[in-house]
Amino acid sequence: MPTKSKLYRKEMIYGYLFLAPPVIGMLLFTMYPMLYSIYGSFTDWDGLGQMNFIGLDNYKDLFTDELFHKAMFNTFFMMIGIPIGLVLALLLAMGLNRGIPGTTAFRVIYYVPVISSLAAISILWQWAYNGDYGLVNQFLDLFGIKGPNWLANKHTVKPAIMIMAIWKGLGYSMLLYLAALQSVSRSYYEAAELDGANGFQTFRAITWPMVKPVTFFIVVTSIIGGSQIFTEINIMTSTGGPEYSSASAVFYMWQKAFGNFQLGYSSAMAVLLALFIFIVTLVQFKFNEKSSGDLD
Amino acid sequence: MAKNKYLISILALIIVFAGVLAGCGSSSKEETKSDSADSGTNASTSSGETKNLTFMFRGGPDEQKAYTAVIKQFETDHPGVKVKIITTTADQYATKLKAAIAGHSVPDVFYYDPGDLRAYVNSGVLANITQYVENSSIDINNIWPYGVNFYRYDGSVTGQGDIYGLPKDVGPFALGYNKTMFEKEGIALPDKDKPYTWDEFIKVNQQLTKDTDGDGKVDQFGTGFNVNWMLQSFVWSNGADWLDSTKTKVTIDDPKFAEALQYFADMQNVYKITPSVQEAQTLDTYQRWMKGEMAFFPVGPWDMSTYESLPFEYDLIPMPAGSTGEPATWLGSLGIGVSADSKNQSEAAELVMYLTASKEGMEQLVSAKVQIPNLIDMAQTWAADTSTKPANKEEFLQVVNEYGRPIPGTQTYNAEWYNLFFTDIQPVLDGKVTAADYVKSEQPKMQKLLDKAIEQEQKSKK
Amino acid sequence: MVLSSKKWSTANIIIFILLCIGAVFMIAPLLWMVTTSFKTKMEVFALPPVWIPEEWLTAKYSEIWTAGPLLSGIKNSVIVAVSVTLIGTFTSSLAAFALAKLQVPHKNKIFLMLLSSIMIPYPAVMIPQFIMFSNIGWNDTLLPLIVPGLFGNVFMIFFLRQYLTSVPNAIIEAAKIDGSSYFGIYAKIVFPLIKPAVAAQLILWFMGVWNDYLAPTIYLTSEENYTLQLVIGNFNAMYAIQTDYPLIMAASVISLLPMLIVFLVFQKQIIESVAISAVKG
Repeated sequence: MPTKSKLYRKEMIYGYLFLAPPVIGMLLFTMYPMLYSIYGSFTDWDGLGQMNFIGLDNYKDLFTDELFHKAMFNTFFMMIGIPIGLVLALLLAMGLNRGIPGTTAFRVIYYVPVISSLAAISILWQWAYNGDYGLVNQFLDLFGIKGPNWLANKHTVKPAIMIMAIWKGLGYSMLLYLAALQSVSRSYYEAAELDGANGFQTFRAITWPMVKPVTFFIVVTSIIGGSQIFTEINIMTSTGGPEYSSASAVFYMWQKAFGNFQLGYSSAMAVLLALFIFIVTLVQFKFNEKSSGDLD
Repeated sequence: MAKNKYLISILALIIVFAGVLAGCGSSSKEETKSDSADSGTNASTSSGETKNLTFMFRGGPDEQKAYTAVIKQFETDHPGVKVKIITTTADQYATKLKAAIAGHSVPDVFYYDPGDLRAYVNSGVLANITQYVENSSIDINNIWPYGVNFYRYDGSVTGQGDIYGLPKDVGPFALGYNKTMFEKEGIALPDKDKPYTWDEFIKVNQQLTKDTDGDGKVDQFGTGFNVNWMLQSFVWSNGADWLDSTKTKVTIDDPKFAEALQYFADMQNVYKITPSVQEAQTLDTYQRWMKGEMAFFPVGPWDMSTYESLPFEYDLIPMPAGSTGEPATWLGSLGIGVSADSKNQSEAAELVMYLTASKEGMEQLVSAKVQIPNLIDMAQTWAADTSTKPANKEEFLQVVNEYGRPIPGTQTYNAEWYNLFFTDIQPVLDGKVTAADYVKSEQPKMQKLLDKAIEQEQKSKK
Repeated sequence: MVLSSKKWSTANIIIFILLCIGAVFMIAPLLWMVTTSFKTKMEVFALPPVWIPEEWLTAKYSEIWTAGPLLSGIKNSVIVAVSVTLIGTFTSSLAAFALAKLQVPHKNKIFLMLLSSIMIPYPAVMIPQFIMFSNIGWNDTLLPLIVPGLFGNVFMIFFLRQYLTSVPNAIIEAAKIDGSSYFGIYAKIVFPLIKPAVAAQLILWFMGVWNDYLAPTIYLTSEENYTLQLVIGNFNAMYAIQTDYPLIMAASVISLLPMLIVFLVFQKQIIESVAISAVKG
């Protein structure tokens, strides 16, 4: 018995040792800065030496700051792309799950944009969206459509960035779906077929429940990623687009903090962003508590 | 045994860890340390006679090339001083510099916008270089006073007091025209001494805007101005301004201001002498001017090197004059200052003076065609030489001496209020909102930001 | 088997055609990028468009190396991505092992705490982090990009922990009784078992670090310290006004190549390992 408790002690020590790096990393690089952001958001911190407590002033200002409202709206607007990408990815995965020849080649092709760097892709699409000489309008021209100058028009700039994001992320979601579909036993489908279920019924009864956890995963990560969109904006519309119509929350935050010395004000935005993501994740977890029993 | 093995593994891990840290640390640090002084504490100063400076500036490829060459020359002339150059594009510069300042890694010598002078002095970023300038051989009276005064500050008012930098140059913004196009169309060349009135300007533009190859699309335009850089001229020459004389009140709701803005927007929407919104979006007006599709386009001294290879002849004229009958335009400037944290302030100040006030440095920069001479006597001989392009360089000097003004955004503690004006302006240019409505709705928003800037200035002074 | 008998049913043919059309959409922009990099400036602005350059000009591919610090960009990106992912994977997998298989008091609380930290987005902490790293003089070095990653990645810990639950405890208990050290168990038993999952996460993480743009934008000021993404971003900012698109595209192609080659060589493993993360996640 004493040996056993000694063994436990040892196990405990090693366990903590193994856990130490991520815990220290989290405290040092996430928790401490986060608390500091919260503190900073109540000050007029300017990075030049001044940091006076000003209570809720930053938040009050945010409330009436039109550019901030625009940036928030833009950020949310661009998230419309998430469900669209999701549906496309699922359709693709179902198409690829039928044993059609060439599946491997398709998988590779659809996945290439995923592995490509976002900066290079943004540069490419910026040029592809050029009104006269860009690939997109040249393509539309084949159908007699005169495309707009996507990135210079406040109505098309957000959809343009959204389309690019869907294009870039499609392969990843598709692959996740495909894996989930492949893990579904064929016998389910065969049984459904025997029962005379039609395609839609099969989808509702078998496919959808099976891919639900993956959908959950993609939605959460996409919202978290989408609310932090920055690179595309910074490269494709370096000023935030016509009338600030493509500036995202992080873009505005970055401009305020590093271009205007308003670190405190930016911190208030940072806190709101963190709060938003926290709530979204929480809601998602609540919704999916049943289907993802994995989480203890 | 098992325990030993474990310990060894941990040890190995720590060594790898430390090795990588040290490795990356030194590999990246070495580069900066060996070239820069700002991050080095004692190491760099005690390492010998070599004094390291970092110089951060911005500019297009030609400017970068020209300045790099002058820095090389400076290093040859000042053995023992090494300069590390950090360059960025014009758009990125402000963010990069401000991030460096907030991150306490201010370059020893750097460009800064005159509008930031007060903020930087109040927060102890900029060094006072008065003594270095006064003890040097340079003649400050031979540098454009307009430029020098931007960088003097006595703690409450700019334009007097101590020197916190010297002007890199002064940047007069003049109007250029495509001489070849005028000759081809048989239209009398513009008078270099008598500005167009607004009506005349529209007329001549209408004559020049046409479809030259008969494909039904206009491919030769009168002009196509960028509102950010050209609206000032129209507003000022119409007797209006963004700010009142106390620089505390936004005055864009002046009817004369609205009139100028409307005129500006009408060039596209009513008179159709510019590329349409669509056309301007697909190919920048700058690029169209360079291709020879445009009759008038603004020219700054920094454009001269690029315009050397234009496929047509160009020259300078005054901006069109509004109701005041006088042309107006802005005269920009960028300062070169020294970091208050610099370990080698005297060398840094020396570099500033070399770049801004020395004959050797200035001659190189001027011959690279990236700026007008900073030295008044040199500028006069330079402008008198009409054999180099553009012939009427005198116009630049007239802007400097007579009618150039600073950009309103640089006259306040920060330019946010001013920038907002241009962020929201597109509907006016598209003809969807009238200028009168726009200035009315925008004034309070801008005033709010200006009030904030004023408040911030009070705070920073303490 | 049921499906294979009707491999070329009408439905499948239609789907095949749709997939082909989709594939064209996916690949066309990239091909266009490549052909643009070989075009002359005139061809770039030609109307009607030139799809395939008349003459394949390779001049831009020699020009890019002097037009910007491309080579050092690649070097810096490799330094950051390799050191972060290798060491970070090690620390992450150790932690996952402890969470899944060791008797550690409060480990579920610790795990939930770690998990909750992934809800905190980078932008929310970037300002204090920036000031923190600046205060110790790490501004304009690669260290702020490297060091936080060395402490592990919660996503990876999450997946590996899930994956480890499928490893029977008996194996580990047996090893303990044999007197293996805990690190020995990790190295000899656990790590080989979770290798495929580790590979999946490592690749995903590598791509994330390789493609990072925001943090390098904030920290790096000197061109010689730029990571590859910043270098090509700068190419775009610098040469677009001169409309030198062939040059910009050539640089972008170069920046994509390393990842593309790795992907094409290991595509089977990469795709499978991404799939693993989905099933396990």
